[in-house]
Amino acid sequence: MKSTTPMLLKSVALACAIMLGACSSTPTTTPLLDQARGDFVAANNNPQISSYAPLEFKQASDALELANAAAARRDSMNDIDKLAYIAKQKIATAREVARTKGAEADIANSGKVRDQVRLEARTAEADRAKAAAAAAQAQAAAAQSQAALAQNQAAAAVSQVADAEARTREAQARAAALEAMMVDLQAKKTERGMVITIGDVLFASGQATLTQPGMANLRKLADVLAQNPERTVLVEGFTDSVGAAAYNQDLSERRAAAVRTALTGMGVAPERVAMKGYGKAYPVANNDTPGNRQLNRRVEIVLSNSGSPIAPR
Amino acid sequence: MTNQTRIQLTKVLCAAAVLTLAACASSQKAPATADVAVSKNAVENAVSAGAADLAPAEINLAREKMMRANAALAAKDYVLARELATQAQADAKLAQSKATSAKATAAAAALDADLRVLRQEVERAK
Repeated sequence: MKSTTPMLLKSVALACAIMLGACSSTPTTTPLLDQARGDFVAANNNPQISSYAPLEFKQASDALELANAAAARRDSMNDIDKLAYIAKQKIATAREVARTKGAEADIANSGKVRDQVRLEARTAEADRAKAAAAAAQAQAAAAQSQAALAQNQAAAAVSQVADAEARTREAQARAAALEAMMVDLQAKKTERGMVITIGDVLFASGQATLTQPGMANLRKLADVLAQNPERTVLVEGFTDSVGAAAYNQDLSERRAAAVRTALTGMGVAPERVAMKGYGKAYPVANNDTPGNRQLNRRVEIVLSNSGSPIAPR
Repeated sequence: MTNQTRIQLTKVLCAAAVLTLAACASSQKAPATADVAVSKNAVENAVSAGAADLAPAEINLAREKMMRANAALAAKDYVLARELATQAQADAKLAQSKATSAKATAAAAALDADLRVLRQEVERAK
């Protein structure tokens, strides 16, 4: 038993040493110190704190250094907590100071922003006014061009009326000229049109040859046709009842053809001159006296009414 | 070395040790009046910054520690008084900075809201 006692003492001492060693090998920290370290890391990552509260951050950093040193010295948990608490409060203070400075910077800047917004508002207002003025100007220009267009249209209408009037006047003048010519040619107005009679005296006796006065009358008619291109003529030949029917028919046709040839020779288009021989038909007088028979020997030229064809007999 | 000299040396060493201890204890043993006064000042500053309304938790902590520091001072427990005063000061400073930041943040938010209204008016006018 006496020999075992020193052995026991030795083993107890060894156990104590191991326990102490284990105790000292774990780094000393406290929940509060851990929290302060976490706060510090967060503050260190906050750029606002380094720029707005450098002094307060330095003080917090120093306080945390003291707490870390106490932990490294393995001071009592109580002592470490006291220093960690101070560090934690100082870190929070640095954060609040930085927040204040940040808000103050915002306040200082807001005046500038306000001016900027007002400037934008005024610029927008000016732009609107300018756009409205431009629109009004464009509208005025459009109205002006419309007015000019209306004026042009009115002028065109006036000139159209004038043209129509001129045409009407021209037509009237032509009609008057025609009327005068017809009177000169002793024409008769009938339903079929104006009828001009080329009497027997204007032909060589028993012949289909026109005399000089007959040609003169046809010249006047050719002028009328030239001035009235829309009119056509029908040349009708007639004889008295003396002689054979075939002879009379032939003579009437030849005299009508002579008139037609004369007219086309004076420049009247052949398609405007139709012709027909009737022989002794359609006498204008009894064939009882030589004078009356002479009246029946004739060529009648029917001048169509303007634009309408000549009705057949 | 004679016995005399050994006794002499021991005396000198003892005196040095005592002096050293005394010097060491002097900062601990001195009344923490100044520390407490500084903390009291910090608490007052925080209160005048509006901490009672804007950081009630922090300012209450500071006040409570101030009272305990005063009690420790009266009981001549200067170590505890200094500790509590230091903590009270840290609490008070945090309370003050919290109150100040709350006011500045509110002012900035109000201006921000004004700006938003102005922007909306400008937007409506467009």
